[in-house]
Amino acid sequence: MIAIEYFIGLSAILFIIGAVGVLTRKSAIVVLMCIELMLNAANINFVAFSAYSGNMNGMVFALVSIAIAAAEVAVGLAIVLNLYKARDTIGLDEVNLLRW
Amino acid sequence: MMYWSELAWLIPIIPLISFVVVGFLGNKAFKRIENGGYFAILMAAVACFLSLMVAFEILTGGYPGGTFIQSMNWMTVPGFTFNMGIYIDTLTALMLIVVSFISTLVVIYSVGYMHEEGEKKRRYYAEISLFICAMLGLVLSSNFLQMFIFWEIVGLCSYLLIGFWNTKPSAASAAKKAFLVTRIGDIMFMLGLFIFFVWFQGNLDFSYIFNNVDAFLGGNDLLTLGTFFIFGGAIGKSAQFPLHDWLPDAMEGPTTVSALIHAATMVKAGVYLVARTYPVMVETPNTMLIIAIIGGITALMAATMALNNPNIKRVLAYSTISQLGYMFLALGTGGYLFFHTQETNAGFMSGMFHLMNHAFFKALLFLSAGAVIHAVHTEDMRLMGGLSKKLKITSLVMLIGCISIAGIPPLSGFWSKDEILAVVFETGAENPLFYVLYIMGILTAFMTAFYMFRLWYMTFAGEPRDHHVYDHAHESPKVMWVPLAILAALAFGSGFALFFGFSEAIQPTMFHPHAETWTQILEIVFTDVLTYLSIIAAVLGIFLAYLMYRKRSINPDVFVATPARRKIYGLLLARYGFTAAYDWIGLKVVYGVAKAVDWFDRKVIDGIVNGFAIVTIKVGNIVRRGQTGFVQSYAALVVAGVSIIVILLFLFGGVI
Amino acid sequence: MFENFPILSLLLIVPLIGSMMTFAAGKHAKAARYLALVFSGITLVIATLIIMNFSLSAPLGTEFQFDEAYDWVPMLGISYHLGVDGISMLMVFLSALLVFLAILFSWDVEERTSSYMGLMLLLDVGVLGVFTALDYFLFYIFWEVVLIPMYFLIAIWGGPSRAYASIKFFIYTHVASLFMLLGIFALYFTASPLLGAPSFDMIEIASVSGDIGHALQLIIYAALFFGFIVKMPMVPFHTWLPDAHVQAPTAGSVLLAGLLLKMGSYGIIRICVFTFPDITVEAQVLIAIIGVLSIVYGAFACLAQTDLKKMVAYSSISHMGIVLLGIATLTDLGMAAAVFQMFAHGLITAVLFMTCGMFQHKAGTREIPLLGGLAPKVPVLSTVMMIGFMASLGLPGLVGFVAEFSVFTATYDFFDLWVIVPIASVALTAAYYIWAMQRSIFGSLTTKIDTEHIHDAYWFETVPLAVLIGLIALFGIYPRLVMDIIVPSIPRILTGVI
Repeated sequence: MIAIEYFIGLSAILFIIGAVGVLTRKSAIVVLMCIELMLNAANINFVAFSAYSGNMNGMVFALVSIAIAAAEVAVGLAIVLNLYKARDTIGLDEVNLLRW
Repeated sequence: MMYWSELAWLIPIIPLISFVVVGFLGNKAFKRIENGGYFAILMAAVACFLSLMVAFEILTGGYPGGTFIQSMNWMTVPGFTFNMGIYIDTLTALMLIVVSFISTLVVIYSVGYMHEEGEKKRRYYAEISLFICAMLGLVLSSNFLQMFIFWEIVGLCSYLLIGFWNTKPSAASAAKKAFLVTRIGDIMFMLGLFIFFVWFQGNLDFSYIFNNVDAFLGGNDLLTLGTFFIFGGAIGKSAQFPLHDWLPDAMEGPTTVSALIHAATMVKAGVYLVARTYPVMVETPNTMLIIAIIGGITALMAATMALNNPNIKRVLAYSTISQLGYMFLALGTGGYLFFHTQETNAGFMSGMFHLMNHAFFKALLFLSAGAVIHAVHTEDMRLMGGLSKKLKITSLVMLIGCISIAGIPPLSGFWSKDEILAVVFETGAENPLFYVLYIMGILTAFMTAFYMFRLWYMTFAGEPRDHHVYDHAHESPKVMWVPLAILAALAFGSGFALFFGFSEAIQPTMFHPHAETWTQILEIVFTDVLTYLSIIAAVLGIFLAYLMYRKRSINPDVFVATPARRKIYGLLLARYGFTAAYDWIGLKVVYGVAKAVDWFDRKVIDGIVNGFAIVTIKVGNIVRRGQTGFVQSYAALVVAGVSIIVILLFLFGGVI
Repeated sequence: MFENFPILSLLLIVPLIGSMMTFAAGKHAKAARYLALVFSGITLVIATLIIMNFSLSAPLGTEFQFDEAYDWVPMLGISYHLGVDGISMLMVFLSALLVFLAILFSWDVEERTSSYMGLMLLLDVGVLGVFTALDYFLFYIFWEVVLIPMYFLIAIWGGPSRAYASIKFFIYTHVASLFMLLGIFALYFTASPLLGAPSFDMIEIASVSGDIGHALQLIIYAALFFGFIVKMPMVPFHTWLPDAHVQAPTAGSVLLAGLLLKMGSYGIIRICVFTFPDITVEAQVLIAIIGVLSIVYGAFACLAQTDLKKMVAYSSISHMGIVLLGIATLTDLGMAAAVFQMFAHGLITAVLFMTCGMFQHKAGTREIPLLGGLAPKVPVLSTVMMIGFMASLGLPGLVGFVAEFSVFTATYDFFDLWVIVPIASVALTAAYYIWAMQRSIFGSLTTKIDTEHIHDAYWFETVPLAVLIGLIALFGIYPRLVMDIIVPSIPRILTGVI
């Protein structure tokens, strides 16, 4: 059996890549993709811990999480699409209506 | 057997019905018949008839036990009982006669006097019916609280009726003043009630207090305060010094109102209150002394103010204040004497005697003055003169009133005033202060005679001063002069009650314990030097008025000849500055404090509240700079926050 | 008659259903009016039935009648517990009556009628709930429910600066409620272990509150008391009231002064005095001082006002001060009189605010300097105003006097001649009312406003006023009708004190 450290390492790397992407990329589409990366990092953890502990709850949660991720992408893309319609851009640094 | 007294509860109810009916239907059902005036007369007359029967029954001892008491529970709280009921003894009976009889006459007279008021008559007759109800209720009250309740309602009626012509600013202002100044007295009355309430263990019934007053004596300081505060109520209602200033202003109301409320009945409520409280009051001689002193001061001071006033009603108003002062002087002196000698009750008797006589002759004077005003449409005596040729009946009845109040025998005013002065002099033996009061009383008698005849001469005698006014003058209708004639007869004769007695209310033997028949009383009265002293004072006053205003051998202008005299003259017209002082207290002090409170409220208290809001907004303004609007900077903050938490957990949380 | 019938729940449900139906009426203004009137009328009938069946001779310990208790969240000790004693009985009747009359009085509201009427019925639910709840959790919920409709009534139908006034009202009283909530939680968490089981029940908690540590009792008491006196409101926490009143629509003012203020004093009696008798005794003088301060300060502030409605608003502060003073005496008479004054003030102040509203409506202004000499023009309105003012200044024969006199008697009984300080307000009260009348309805007719088209009272204004004045006179002439309901409930409140 592969040691759990590898799974955790993989998920940590994925998570950090996602987080850095979310924080630094300008395109909303890319940021959405990075969020997916982070979610999947979490999913890997769920699955790995579940397999190691023998508790199936983790598997269930991974499935729930995947479903939510799908819904989230749908909503996110819809927002991005609307943004593009309204502003002709998907650059996050050009969208600051909520600024004080 | 059925007693009239058992119907006494109906006495206030009947005018109340009139109030409701006239108030709601006056301008509808009674439009043709004086907007309810005749209905009000009917109801007042029924109440009067009942009152007279009840009074007669009580005064002749027709009711077993002499005192009729009826009571029902109004409200009960553990420790305190509030009752409502009827208490009729001889004092009540006397007041019942005076109030109900004069009320009825005044309402009849009003039909003539108020004839031209149109739809407003509805309000007039409704309010005067309410007044009659409240006044009779006050008289019949069985306890102090009930008395206070009616006391306030008569005050309300006084307020409403003074302000009857409420579109006139001076009337509205006078009504306000009357209400507020008497309210000061009412507060003292309330304080007195609290003290009594607690002192007499939660029961204010007259019957309870009078029967048990001895049980509650001892350590009388608080009781003295209580009786003093009760008297404070009387100061306000009966316009005594220093709360007298509202009564002259109250003359803004219709003359009928002045006659009924501000001369014959309501202002007597204060006297009645003190008389009613007498069984307790006599146990507190210090209060009695204060009452006597205030009565004396008021009598003299009000008389001086009447000396030079040109307004016919104002002169009568000052005269009323002055005569009320006499009554308090009598009551106070009598109580003081009784406490010290335990012998004679003459002070009380003479005070109540004067109350009755004064009610008749002062109502007469006011209503006569009303007839004059009705005829000439002015209250300024400087525009009158020579009216006796046109107003024969009025001038005659008014002359009877003037002689009566001046104290010339054998008219009614003489007998009671003489008894009062005699008691005051007698008490001088106990406390020399009363000699001073006696001298004040004699001076007052002199001035009373002077200003009353000044009034009469200026109005009726001599040549007309204003021909326009004179030409339009006319004798009043029958409905007005018949009540005048009845009152004149009473003003002439009510003093003879001294000889025949009035059951226990006015007992000849109480004045003169050793006199058995009326000839003996006459003998005692007319062998006393003091009697002649008061007669001489009155005659001198009349003579001076005759010289100045009839014969004109003394020019009245001598009183304003020098600056010093003019100053005194002006001071009297300015009522010793009391009016200005009241205005100053009201407008400058109280309203000033109110303004300051308002400022404090808006600027300081609300300022602090708004300050909280402003600070919150300011802080928010600073903090919100963090809201850049960029999604990624929020995300960065989240990541940074999580990182810090994780690091802290590693460092301090003992995770590793 | 109603032994096993949940009549109090019915009392709460009827206006709630009515409120929903009225909201649903939407644009049909006429339907909304009639629906609101009918449902508030039914509520009033139920309240009257309850008061008719209220037993005056219940033995000590069973004062809470029509008791209903169901577990709600048993794990946390929350129960749905309703019941009335003499004190809340009167307040329930007053609430049902005033809401009914206020709805009738608002017959000519044209703007968003259905929401207006619906909010008033919702307010009715909240107020009735506060006066019947015997469970802290339930009490707090109803307490907050009251806030929302009143906020909207001011914010939507209010005067020119309604935004400021409504937000001030909401935040101020809400902050106070939060203090109260903290107090309730502290009480809950300390009392539950003493009871051995979690409980929000007022009566159960009161049975053990004496065992709580003194310092903690003091803190809890302060938090609760603060919540209540802001609502009453007492000086110096009163400034939300004049603003709210000046901006609120007439019916809103009637309910605000007539009912919402009573919630504060009711809370003090039902919770502070009942649960913490020891602390109340310690704080007695302070409470009395707050009361007296409010009485005198409010009266002075009234004298300086030029807006009739603002004057009446300040007079409410003064008169609620009398309630607090009555409570502070901690005697049977004072406490009963305080409750009586709450009831009396509710009736009188409704008349006063209706009068002010009518002035605004007909003359176009409430500024006293602009009015004058209106009595011949609007005789009914002027008469009503005079009766209202006279009742409020404590004229005997009207209901205000009985309460005022009893409170002052109790004050003298307990605080001796200190009563001189609050009683001075009697003269001040007379002064500002009489002076205001002199300037607004007497004297010569004003030329500053258009008096040509001024119209006297309409029927839907006269009827509620006539009902109120009738009751004011009835209870003033025969106060036993009210006093007999109150008095038996007082000993229970004061058990710990004596």
